[in-house]
Amino acid sequence: MNERVAVVGYKQTKHTIDSPVARERMVYELVKSLYHDMGITKDDIDTFVLASNDFTDGRTISEVFTVPRIGAYMKDETKVEADGLNAALYAYMRILTGLYNTALVIGFSMAGSEFRVPLTQSYTMDPAYERPRGIINFYSTAALQAGAYMKKYKFTDEDLAQLTLKNIRNANNNPFAARKDPGASVEKILGSRPLYLPLREAHVSTYADGACAVVLSSKKTAKKFTDKPVWIDGVGHFMDTYYVGDRDLLAMEHLTAAAKKAYKMAGIKNPKKEIDLAEIHTNFASEEPVLTEALGLFKPGSGKDVVKSGASAITGTLPVNPSGGPLGANPVNATGLIRLAEASAQLRKEAGQNQIKGAKTAVVHAQDGPGAQLNTVFIVRR
Amino acid sequence: MTQETRIIESTWDLTAYQFKIEADALSLFVKGLKDRKILGRKCGTCGTVYVPGPTYCRKCLIDIDQVVEVSQEGRLDAFTVSLADVRGKAVDNPFISCTVKLDGSDSFLMGVLEGWTDWRSVKEGMRVKVVWKDVTQGALADLSHFQLI
Repeated sequence: MNERVAVVGYKQTKHTIDSPVARERMVYELVKSLYHDMGITKDDIDTFVLASNDFTDGRTISEVFTVPRIGAYMKDETKVEADGLNAALYAYMRILTGLYNTALVIGFSMAGSEFRVPLTQSYTMDPAYERPRGIINFYSTAALQAGAYMKKYKFTDEDLAQLTLKNIRNANNNPFAARKDPGASVEKILGSRPLYLPLREAHVSTYADGACAVVLSSKKTAKKFTDKPVWIDGVGHFMDTYYVGDRDLLAMEHLTAAAKKAYKMAGIKNPKKEIDLAEIHTNFASEEPVLTEALGLFKPGSGKDVVKSGASAITGTLPVNPSGGPLGANPVNATGLIRLAEASAQLRKEAGQNQIKGAKTAVVHAQDGPGAQLNTVFIVRR
Repeated sequence: MTQETRIIESTWDLTAYQFKIEADALSLFVKGLKDRKILGRKCGTCGTVYVPGPTYCRKCLIDIDQVVEVSQEGRLDAFTVSLADVRGKAVDNPFISCTVKLDGSDSFLMGVLEGWTDWRSVKEGMRVKVVWKDVTQGALADLSHFQLI
């Protein structure tokens, strides 16, 4: 058995809405360059866990063509049909068994150029009640949630625009982000194309082509790879029912439960004080207050105050998505894993212009399903 | 156990799909076929010859760019007498689907085997050669079939 697991290497592509290379080349270049940076070869990796989705990748058993490209030929390999942070969870558990000491985790997507994400996702809705009527989809679920939050807590369109702008500005300084909008403003966001009100085009994450790879190691072998391990000290993974009609979209009890479990594992009693930053998976800007409050990072309903005080900005008391988050790039299936890479960069002081001073503990979050139906939480520390 | 079930009918409309593929391996291979050549790529490190040839070696995880032409003769590796199609429907004229390892290649090419009268006399290890279409145009179908020598 292994007792502690660390992130010992990470790398992401420069995400784009139309990749100049096919996915096979994209993951090959990424992983080779990660191995090179770390001074290792594929032989140093005991097990490989990929994240992709047959539905969104456009073919069944969607990892078969990418597996040999990451060095897993004739090696131990598996796939998670969910976000990359879930793949990291699998890899973490594999290492805990003691059967493996190292794992490469990778998520990749061609969500920018090859498929229409909302349309594809709509076929994952409940086939009996939701899909045939075509009313409920990922967009409308998020819009219902956003509307409910805004009404209950007097969170205005201006507040939402301000929150969106914070993320766009962070993304502008992130060399890996696909979305670059130096001229972004509250006025432009308020005037962007309405989709499902209160949601507008500017609030939507940037569906992108891209990939992210992370190497995990047991404590036993970690120092062989780096003198800056980022320890995974807590994990939680909870789901809510798939049928949207059975869910309280504001309460997000399942995320709170996942977070509590992760905090307990990591020995965190007061996340508001002990967490230095959060990298969370938002498909829409409006999810940020809902998710961060369910994670226990801010008081319920405090979204307006958080925006006004700048608490979640890079210079704030608890920065949220200093990378710009998925508003900067959402290569579906890699998105949550990128949160882990970005948090690791922060804790290792490798986050460039978006570096937060003295960050030691971070919460990392990923979601799947409409309105964050399934959530994964990691607590990572330097 | 039984229960009442019902079928919900709907459509599965994803509209036209796009799929970005790596063109290098396919382009090299079909370009060779047009000139009646079987081209692949060889890894300079482990020596593996891939036909069709990807631009990387999966064993060494390195880029490979050495183009090699392999022989148009080779060895019958495995075969099956196809008496039915993929839906299970009997076919009128049974044919042999086979894999062939051309001399100089480490990959297998798949195709139809001809030049036999009784399939019971076909044996793994027999020598075969490539037969081309009368007109080659740079497509996979340029390679008509394999013929027993």
